[in-house]
Amino acid sequence: MTTDAAPVPLLEVQGLTKRFGSLVANDDVTFTVRAGEVHGLLGENGAGKSTLVKSLYGIHQPDAGRVVVDGRDERIASPSHARDLGIGMVFQDMRLIPALTVWENIALQLRDTPRVLKPRDAQRAITDASAHYGLDVDPSALVRDLSIGEWQRAELLKVLLAGARVLILDEPTSVLTPQEADALFDVLRRLTADGVGVILIAHKIREVRQIADRVTVLRGGRTVLADTDPHELTDAELVRAMVGTSVKPVSRRPEPTDETADAPVVVSLRGASVLRPTGVLGLDGVDLDIRAGRILGVAGIAGSGQGELADLLVGVAPLRSGSMELPGLDARGTTTGDLRVAGVVDVVANPVHDYVVRGMTISDHVALWEATTAGRRRFDVRGAATTFARRDERAGLRAADPSRRLDQLSGGNIQRVLLTLALTQDARLVIASYPTRGLDVLTTERTHALLLEARDRGEAVVLVSEDLDELLALSDEVVVLHHGRVAGTVPAVDADRDRLGLLMTEGAA
Amino acid sequence: MSVLEKDPPKVVEPARATASGQPFWRRLLFVVAAYLLCLAVFAAFAATQGADPASIFTTMLQSSVLDWGTLQQTLVRSVPIVLAALACTIPARAGLVNVGGEGQIIMGSVAAVGVGLALGQAVGGPVAWLAIVAGAAVAGAVWCGICGFLRVRLNASESVTTLFFNFIAADVMLYVIYQVWREGDATSLPQSEPLTSDQLLPAVGGLQLTLAVPFMVLVVVGVWALLKYTSWGFRLTVAGGNPTAALRSGLPVRRILLGSMLAGGALAGIGGALNVMGAEGALRPGMTATFGYVAFLANFLGGSRPFPVLGAAVLFSAIANSGNGLQLSEGLNGSAVNVLLGLIVLTMLVVSGRTKEAFS
Ligand SMILES: Nc1ncnc2c1ncn2[C@@H]1O[C@H](COP(=O)(O)OP(=O)(O)OP(=O)(O)O)[C@@H](O)[C@H]1O
Ligand SMILES: [Mg+2]
Repeated sequence: MTTDAAPVPLLEVQGLTKRFGSLVANDDVTFTVRAGEVHGLLGENGAGKSTLVKSLYGIHQPDAGRVVVDGRDERIASPSHARDLGIGMVFQDMRLIPALTVWENIALQLRDTPRVLKPRDAQRAITDASAHYGLDVDPSALVRDLSIGEWQRAELLKVLLAGARVLILDEPTSVLTPQEADALFDVLRRLTADGVGVILIAHKIREVRQIADRVTVLRGGRTVLADTDPHELTDAELVRAMVGTSVKPVSRRPEPTDETADAPVVVSLRGASVLRPTGVLGLDGVDLDIRAGRILGVAGIAGSGQGELADLLVGVAPLRSGSMELPGLDARGTTTGDLRVAGVVDVVANPVHDYVVRGMTISDHVALWEATTAGRRRFDVRGAATTFARRDERAGLRAADPSRRLDQLSGGNIQRVLLTLALTQDARLVIASYPTRGLDVLTTERTHALLLEARDRGEAVVLVSEDLDELLALSDEVVVLHHGRVAGTVPAVDADRDRLGLLMTEGAA
Repeated sequence: MSVLEKDPPKVVEPARATASGQPFWRRLLFVVAAYLLCLAVFAAFAATQGADPASIFTTMLQSSVLDWGTLQQTLVRSVPIVLAALACTIPARAGLVNVGGEGQIIMGSVAAVGVGLALGQAVGGPVAWLAIVAGAAVAGAVWCGICGFLRVRLNASESVTTLFFNFIAADVMLYVIYQVWREGDATSLPQSEPLTSDQLLPAVGGLQLTLAVPFMVLVVVGVWALLKYTSWGFRLTVAGGNPTAALRSGLPVRRILLGSMLAGGALAGIGGALNVMGAEGALRPGMTATFGYVAFLANFLGGSRPFPVLGAAVLFSAIANSGNGLQLSEGLNGSAVNVLLGLIVLTMLVVSGRTKEAFS
């Protein structure tokens, strides 16, 4: 009864438990990672996926359980220890140093960094590796100038050149367009062909189907499915494993209409330009009418002016030239405070950086929201729990308990709190930037439904997304931004995808 | 019926495990050992200076807190330190670094004497006290507020400007002592004209414990309540915790930052006034004795929380006071205690760096 037929797995996790105070984030988790596989780690928001991989990368110390690397029991004390064991991780919030070039960032990380950096050697090693894995990125570019896709590729190179044989990716695709995600999967296939084992956290079933060889599903911190071939399961079974209940088929979305095409204009931009902090124009002479009762989709490759448009509409970024009229708003002025009171709310693109206040509870954030949207100077933290419970019931996003600290929630659960506030506001104008980023399947569905409900109530909705499917399914019309200019406006009914793609990459003809 | 669980997934009996993976007792052991080592190093230092390491600590305790008389001195002396430490606390909540407690105390003291002299013999008692405190508060607020203004308008680092303003304030005080309110002739010790005895704070309880001490406690409680229970304090915490979030919520972030600097400066100014009315009676070169810098450390040690800051400030005041005892009975230079102060701050840095929970 020898077992030498089965190769030793790269990584074995047995009975891993991790608590935060009285909260059990991981409860007796068991799974294995083999050489040459992509192992999907799935589960709804707050299931404990990030916590689990942080334990494997030495950021958290588990309270119980074993981690076996290459057949040896290890207590992974720190990230550098993890790297020594051949475990690498790409975080969702990127960890490169923006002021340095790509090769400098990578050279700093290598195990045998020479005392004096040799640019030529380092750059050659990087160029070789990027060719080998198909990770296209210019080694001498400054990191701060990279697009998010390039940034992620640089991060991957860094981890691979540090000698990772187990590669952990925490929701890498949530910031990527579907095309970029496909390119990433090609890279992952080359890596697994070299014998690397990949742990991939993802929420989209489509992506799991595309790339995962085996999956492990967590729910409430426990393993409900371990090391399973996803092809043995139907989509419905996969989703049931994640959320623990069978999902009712979602009611068909209403078709986009032209009936509201001449609905009242809420905000009107004429020749609107906005400067970036770097001094270049982020938004450049944009004409746009945002109408009540319609969803205006905003498409474009990352950094084409979506952020500046959102900032302008909420009054955070000043106009450099052009005009912004607010015929549909009863606003006292154009400061952020005035606009909020007049019913302009937004779901920020990066809530962790731009919304979460360190150390504060959900109730605190709710009190801040209620006061600033009502134009009150008094903050009612005690009453916040009640109003939030009402909003939570109405939104149905199952937000966390209001007494919890927002900065300690999982990424998706932070997003749920913000969505619960913004989409139950009965606003005049909602700017939703990447609203479903990091959300699990069910919550994504529910959020889409809430956006449509807001539209049907007569709110003007601006939806920024990198996912064309999402944009076309929800929007009444889609405006394409390219280098800060409007490249074209396309009705969402019978939209021509190829034309949209061309507008995004090439701009107006 | 939905079986969907809400986040949090599940609750079990509380465990005292920390994110850094160390059990509680090991962290405690580390902290205790660190501070014992700190005291040991100081004892060794004292021994090299010819003092008896066995008795210095009892001497220090005797000359700072164990004796009713010296305890009063310690408390009186802590008044300007506590107030100037709170002057760091409030801006720190808004994410600003006020290193200018020293200058703000000085400007408060100058204003206090100015108001007192202007009132002269005619006005004394509570009316004079209030007027003097108000004048000092305005002076401190203006001094700190200028730096706040430079910060929110020109983005000039407040930690640098407040520091510079300390040196300017010191010169302003010397100028008024020598040129404006000089008392006596050129041969006597330089000092400004004093407040009238009606303008000095009366003693309560003991001989030296003036009204300034209970007033200081009142201020600490007030600042605590302000930060914890008022909308003003809430706004401050939001602006300090995440300025972008505050801006995007439509809060007037610049006004909030400026307000925190004005409030901080006012407190330090009041500290200066209480020091003049309760202890000094007049302006004298060097009278503030680096209170402002010690206060900065006290705020740091207290983690910008009013009550711990109060404790730290009184501790520092006690250490400073114990220098007298060391000088008298151990033959050590009184400033030797500054070594202990430095060691404590160093230890505290190490301890907090080592035991901080690793969030990521
Ligand atoms: N540092 C922390 N302190 C306290 N609780 C924490 C901490 N980190 C995570 N948690 C809690 O542990 C649970 C699991 O969080 P985790 O981030 O692992 O979820 P996740 O599966 O990655 O979810 P998502 O899909 O939203 O990213 C959540 O309830 C979260 O609030
Ligand atoms: Mg996560």
